Amino acid sequence: MKKIFAIARKDAIIRFASPSELLFFIILPIVFTFLLAGGTPSGNEDNRIRLLVVDEAQTSVSKEIVEELEKSTAVRPEVLTRAEAQSQFDERRASAVFILPAGIDIAALQSGSAEVELHQQPNNLNATIAERAVLTAIRRVSSSISAAQNAVHQREVKQSFSSDAERQMYFETSLETAQSIQTDAPERVKVVEGTTPDQVEYDPRANSSAGQLITWVFIPLFGISALFAYERQQGTLRRLLTTPSQKATFLLGTISGQVVMALIQMLLLVGFAILVMKLNWGREPLALFIILLASALAAAAFGTTMGTFIKTEGQASGLSIMFGMVFALMGGCWYPLELFPASIQNAVKVLPTTWAMQGMLDLVLRGGGLTDVLPEAGVLLGFAVIFFSIGVMRFHFE
Amino acid sequence: MKKLFLIGIKDLKLMFRDRAALTFMLLAPFLLTIGMGFVTGRFSGRTSGISDIPVIIVNLDKQELGNALEDLFNSEDLADLVEPTASSDPEAARHQIDLDEASAAIIIPEGFTHSIIPADGTMFSADSARPEPVQIEVYTNPSRPTGAGILKAIVDEFVSRVEEGRTSGMTSISQLMASGLLDPQNADDEVRDLFQNVDQSESTAITLKKNTEGPQAVEFDLLAYFAPGMALMFLMYTVSYGGRSILAERSQGTLPRLMISPTHTAQVLGGKVLGIFFMGVAQVGILILASTVFFQVKWGDALGIIVLILAAVFGATGWGMLITAFARTPAQVGSTGSAVMLIFGIMGGSFISLENFPPFMQTISKITPNAWGLDGFTTLALGGTLKNLAEPISALLIMGAVLFGVAVVVFSRNGIMKK
Repeated sequence: MKKIFAIARKDAIIRFASPSELLFFIILPIVFTFLLAGGTPSGNEDNRIRLLVVDEAQTSVSKEIVEELEKSTAVRPEVLTRAEAQSQFDERRASAVFILPAGIDIAALQSGSAEVELHQQPNNLNATIAERAVLTAIRRVSSSISAAQNAVHQREVKQSFSSDAERQMYFETSLETAQSIQTDAPERVKVVEGTTPDQVEYDPRANSSAGQLITWVFIPLFGISALFAYERQQGTLRRLLTTPSQKATFLLGTISGQVVMALIQMLLLVGFAILVMKLNWGREPLALFIILLASALAAAAFGTTMGTFIKTEGQASGLSIMFGMVFALMGGCWYPLELFPASIQNAVKVLPTTWAMQGMLDLVLRGGGLTDVLPEAGVLLGFAVIFFSIGVMRFHFE
Repeated sequence: MKKLFLIGIKDLKLMFRDRAALTFMLLAPFLLTIGMGFVTGRFSGRTSGISDIPVIIVNLDKQELGNALEDLFNSEDLADLVEPTASSDPEAARHQIDLDEASAAIIIPEGFTHSIIPADGTMFSADSARPEPVQIEVYTNPSRPTGAGILKAIVDEFVSRVEEGRTSGMTSISQLMASGLLDPQNADDEVRDLFQNVDQSESTAITLKKNTEGPQAVEFDLLAYFAPGMALMFLMYTVSYGGRSILAERSQGTLPRLMISPTHTAQVLGGKVLGIFFMGVAQVGILILASTVFFQVKWGDALGIIVLILAAVFGATGWGMLITAFARTPAQVGSTGSAVMLIFGIMGGSFISLENFPPFMQTISKITPNAWGLDGFTTLALGGTLKNLAEPISALLIMGAVLFGVAVVVFSRNGIMKK
């Protein structure tokens, strides 16, 4: 037992010999968790098509048009200067630019001289959608004036006005009538939301917390392979042969030390998630401990197996980062697994990260308990048994 | 100059002999790009583009306006945008939405037209003055908010056009009647004319001038963002790997040996920088080429791509030199390089588009070659050319030059290049 503790302590000293290890141990995981929690799509973000709006008029009419656009369910207006909008349009980063030139006011509307511009990328569906939204907005703002103008025209068809003053008077009363009709107009469209279940179970904070925890804990555990390679390269493994230490003692000391460090790292990250991100990790402490331990053991076992195939420390550190990142991405730790095609979702069940992520989401996202995480914990322990067996069988001091 | 190239080529050869490094520099970003291809639906044809939005139309009105709305959804104008199917059963349509078979159902109830245009003989009846409102129901699919929002916008636009026509007609009638120019007893036909084509009214108060001139739209290939995103992230590892070789050569004694040869210090340092640059260009170039061959990624202007790769690698090389200048051991360069790779990866938009980050993060991201490089790759993928890349290329070149200058100062202070 003392030997196991001594080996574990030695590995901890080697690992934290450089203060930069703290960067990977706690600082970067927290930064990534925090950024990805806010940066990944939550499903509640504004999905409307971006419409660049240039308001050079700055009148009540132009502002009313922009307000109408903001109410649109299809476009999201973004007010910019003409130069900024033109630049984005030229670079094709915007499908349409809506320009309200100077002089768009009540007088211009009344005289019929008000003209607005819509620049559209050709053959672009987003631009077509933007055009419809713009038409709706300008129609809503100008319809009462259009109606009054039409009333004046109808009157002139029947009988011409005796003077401009009479014409203006007729226009103004028509405008009042039109506005009154508009105000009294009933709502003619109702929206009813269906009950389609959301296919993607996702909460950016919970997914980011669990996903980054797995990513940043699995990579150093895969790095157990680098510890073996380091000792082998330094010749210290051979020296161990001359001491009364068994292969099992060395392996147990190395692996248990790394697993304990991983558990400490996990608990720090879970603590951060509970305190700062207000996530409910601690509701079922036993279930949480079981899934964390099972995950750590599975990752450590994989690292042990890797260590028996890899010759140099350089190879080991590169490959452990590569496997860690690829397993994390494919296991649904960075993006919800539901986004992957069904065949891939089935294929990635061979990865420990998939099961670790599902187990942790059972707790922190779905509000599950001990019985819910047992299947995932069982699979992870199965991984651990298989990979430890391979690792122990293949392990040689030389 | 020859010595400079020889040192650079020697470092490049050494990199290609290091299988572990090669695996990490080439295989890791390639595998991650494949993963991103799955996530974004690039390989399954499920892209985020908006087209063929499935919609179920239930026209129970069967009158002028109901038919006009149904025709609108089946019009040539919307042929690419929506994919309508007709149904006569509102409940069945709602059920289909609940089963996620379409984005929304548009249910036009019976009497919709007559709630706006009074039926013959009822034009001036008491009921027609304030007809009972009949509402079109848009039954939306909450798991397809974008498509449902667009469908709702199409219905809104139609209804607002109808409403404008109705307001216009009603205003004219009211005013004519108030002026005594219209007799309600004999005006049925005349008034009906005012309601003709009520759904096709066009606003006259504001004219919309459309301009669709310009190049044809380009379909954005998501892998043209994520493949260079991953390549640029791992480029940071490569440049620090290259920088590490300077310190490794010093500790192995080959650097001092090189310094006592008839080679100027600047040539040695320049050769090492060139070696890092070659490694970066080889890495990004291979990844871009592999993405083109295996995934048929549409990159855009080829000349723009080449110049952008060179500029991005130059900017990243500056960072590699700076990391090396401040480090004492090759291991320090390795760990710092890996940390910078990951930090720049997330800050520069390799995992998530920068648009999702708050403005201050977008500003900070400008210190990374990743952000500028991705900006350039996006511009090219959207159909831009070399002339549109002035800003990212200038930024990357300035970044590389400034960082290299700082690194040289630190190198000379630390005496790394002393004989």
